[in-house]
Amino acid sequence: MSRSTQTALVRDDRTAYEAVAGLTVGLSGVAFTLALAALFDVVGIGDPVAGVSLSVVFGGLLLALGGAVVGFGVASRLGYVDTAPQPSAGVVAAGAFTAIWFAIGAVASGALGLGTVARLGAGTAVGGAAFAATAFPREDIGSTVPAGLVAGLAGALLVSGAVGPSWTQPLSGYNATLFGDVVVPATVLFASLVVGWSAAKAYGGFGARGRNVGAYVLIYLVVGSILTVLVGLVAFVAAKGAPGLFNGVSVGGSTLVSWPFLTNGAGLLADIAGVFPALVGTVWLVIGAVLFAVPTGVGAAVFLSEYAEQGRFTSVVEVATNGLWSTPSIVFGLFGAAFLIPRFGNQKSLIAGMLTLGFMLLPLVLITSREAILAVPDEYRDASAALGVSKWQTIRSVVLPAAIPGVTTGVILGVGRIAGETAPILLTMGGGVLPAKSAAPDVLGGFRLSASPPFVSNPALLEATSALPYQLYALITAGLSGNIQNPQEYAWGLALTLLLVVLVFYAGGIATRYYFRQKLHQ
Amino acid sequence: MSFITPKTDWRDSIDRRLTRTQEFIDDTDPAALAVVAVAMGSLLAAFVGFLLASPWTAVPLGAFLVATGYGWVRHQALVARAVTFAMTTVTLVTLGLIVVFIFAESIPAFQYESARVFGVSVPGLGMFAQARWDAVSDPVRYSLLPMIHGTVMVTAIATLVAAPLGVSAALFIAEIAPPRVRELVKPGIEVLAGIPSIVYGFIGFTVINPWAGGAFALNGGSTYLFVGIVVGLMALPTVVSVAEDALTSVPDVMKDGSLALGATDWQSMTAITLPAAFSGVSAAVLLGVGRAIGETMAATVMLAGVPRISEPLINVFYGYETLTSLIARGYGSANGVHESALFAAGVVLFVTVLCLSLASQYIEARMRRRLGGAE
Repeated sequence: MSRSTQTALVRDDRTAYEAVAGLTVGLSGVAFTLALAALFDVVGIGDPVAGVSLSVVFGGLLLALGGAVVGFGVASRLGYVDTAPQPSAGVVAAGAFTAIWFAIGAVASGALGLGTVARLGAGTAVGGAAFAATAFPREDIGSTVPAGLVAGLAGALLVSGAVGPSWTQPLSGYNATLFGDVVVPATVLFASLVVGWSAAKAYGGFGARGRNVGAYVLIYLVVGSILTVLVGLVAFVAAKGAPGLFNGVSVGGSTLVSWPFLTNGAGLLADIAGVFPALVGTVWLVIGAVLFAVPTGVGAAVFLSEYAEQGRFTSVVEVATNGLWSTPSIVFGLFGAAFLIPRFGNQKSLIAGMLTLGFMLLPLVLITSREAILAVPDEYRDASAALGVSKWQTIRSVVLPAAIPGVTTGVILGVGRIAGETAPILLTMGGGVLPAKSAAPDVLGGFRLSASPPFVSNPALLEATSALPYQLYALITAGLSGNIQNPQEYAWGLALTLLLVVLVFYAGGIATRYYFRQKLHQ
Repeated sequence: MSFITPKTDWRDSIDRRLTRTQEFIDDTDPAALAVVAVAMGSLLAAFVGFLLASPWTAVPLGAFLVATGYGWVRHQALVARAVTFAMTTVTLVTLGLIVVFIFAESIPAFQYESARVFGVSVPGLGMFAQARWDAVSDPVRYSLLPMIHGTVMVTAIATLVAAPLGVSAALFIAEIAPPRVRELVKPGIEVLAGIPSIVYGFIGFTVINPWAGGAFALNGGSTYLFVGIVVGLMALPTVVSVAEDALTSVPDVMKDGSLALGATDWQSMTAITLPAAFSGVSAAVLLGVGRAIGETMAATVMLAGVPRISEPLINVFYGYETLTSLIARGYGSANGVHESALFAAGVVLFVTVLCLSLASQYIEARMRRRLGGAE
């Protein structure tokens, strides 16, 4: 990908104008981050900063940012700075500002006590004005003035205290009330986003390059927020769950490592309640699903890509596989309940859960294995065929080994997904809310042979069994209470255990991919 | 050859297939054929036995395992081919069984909710023509409208979250990010897909709902707004990965041509890459919508579980019930027509999501054809 926009050829003099525009972008970022912190109650909007409340500081900052952005536009329009604006800001920007100002007009007229028709009228009038202001002037005015006014209006409301920490507005008919605590940070978030985009355009000197910079700022912000949410979620669960998970862990002694949360049940006898039965249940669930789905999926992928002629049959299977992949998990649960449970002793059972999750895993394995097998270069097959090796021998000793990395990665990621599934096992496997250690399934020791049909039986497979995600759900529906010392801590520990189990699978899958890719590039 | 009618064409293909089968049988070792026939026959018998819930299912299953094991040693190539074929049909059989079983279980509810239009009784119409769901007190009615409304609310909000964020993130990964950053962001978004929905639901139930209840002075903490945002976050990885595939499948020559003309990266993206990958990107959004519709656990634990339509219709500060949460909450304690009505909700879900999946597959196939078979 070319990085032509960043080379020195295009522009190498960093003018004062650019420095100020860059500073404006940075300050918008600061406002955005602070508003986010205020929204999550890390800082209060009523907190005093240098004698005034944070809300007023936000307002002043937005006023300054709005003024700066309008200044950039005017300076560019009057020719004080060297920019390359286009004749119009474009239809996308015009549409966006129309929508924003329509909303502002409707909300403002509503606050003045007007009726629905009048509000729509006011919104349309203001939105139309914004459209004209964006679309008709040259780009440097069109993409700065409406943006600057958004920030300016928001800033004026905050500085004047018209909207502040103690502001409230009941939404009549909606059974909800808006408070300053939420509205102020949300306003600042939005206004800083708009003004930051506009300032970034100014920084790029408008035109094609300005749009490039403006769009990149927004996209980087989006990706940054997604990653922040991800890290925040994991960190939050880790912080809340660690006390429960590591309760009573000791190294040394008779058993070398003692980890009661993972090795105890939740019965009255256990001094520290643990999740052992659910953990074992999840392990068996995954093993059962893998035993069913992986051979089936890989075999089907082999047949589809090596034996079958590409035609109606393969495309029907493909469509069916993709259809199965997107089928909601609760529908799999219903299917398992209607199809499997009557055939396995008419009660929720471990094997019904295993097969239901196996059905869910099957399309994932098939799709990824098929991709992996198709990615094996035809040269491999040709070389093998040229040596006189039969088709099946070629598949077994050339194609499958070459496809193993892709298949493994797909299987591990798929297992990670089904290990956390709750809805299917809720309907097919059940289990107790706080199972005692004795409730852990003993599958290996449970097989019995008999002289009458069905000849082989295993009571452990036919019993309702708890698994980590189901137990978490059952705890929530029980109102996070139960016959244990600290149900809240227990539940968070359980959530963290589940998250770790799934993340270990994902980390394993991603690491496998990297490992094989590294090997391939050596 | 243009005057060959479709009928003879069809007959020709049957003939061709028969001759080919005949040749294949003639060419193959009879012993191997016999083993494969026994194996496949007993597998079919085992399947039928399982369908009929016969206790004798283990016998043909055992016969299949023995025949396959014997054949694997003696005639591996043919047995492998037959077994992989049988595995291929499992997908089709599964989809078929899902259709048959959830439809069959939902029939009583459809019959119960028959309504007359112009003197003709239409089964199931009562589920969509009135808005009362009450399985306990008279009149017992099973309208799905409140749940469909809830699903639409949650899905709409989730799409507003997942579509723009997902497409921007896909653009970032496919076009903008330097390789090193991409290697960090891509697995990160995959991990986001791995966080179990019940964990999201747990956070929603213990943190978001109480916060929302206080921050908006709500009557209870359940809101479609925050369920929608959480579900959107869950649908996001699907949108990102499918859209990213579509964007990277646009041939580099197209983008290079644009860049060589002096266009900026962003101009190339908006003028070349996005239009070329438009169908793939919309397929990604459709799949994301499908994920959002089917999302169960977060909705179940975060919503109030009252089958009612919010007033006014677009009030996002209520959180009553979705199709998925209705099933998850009600199954087990329900029986008779009530249970059957839950299956009817499942049918609505299944058909909707299957249609979305088919639509997105059609769009993707068209895009691949347009880009010149760049698969």
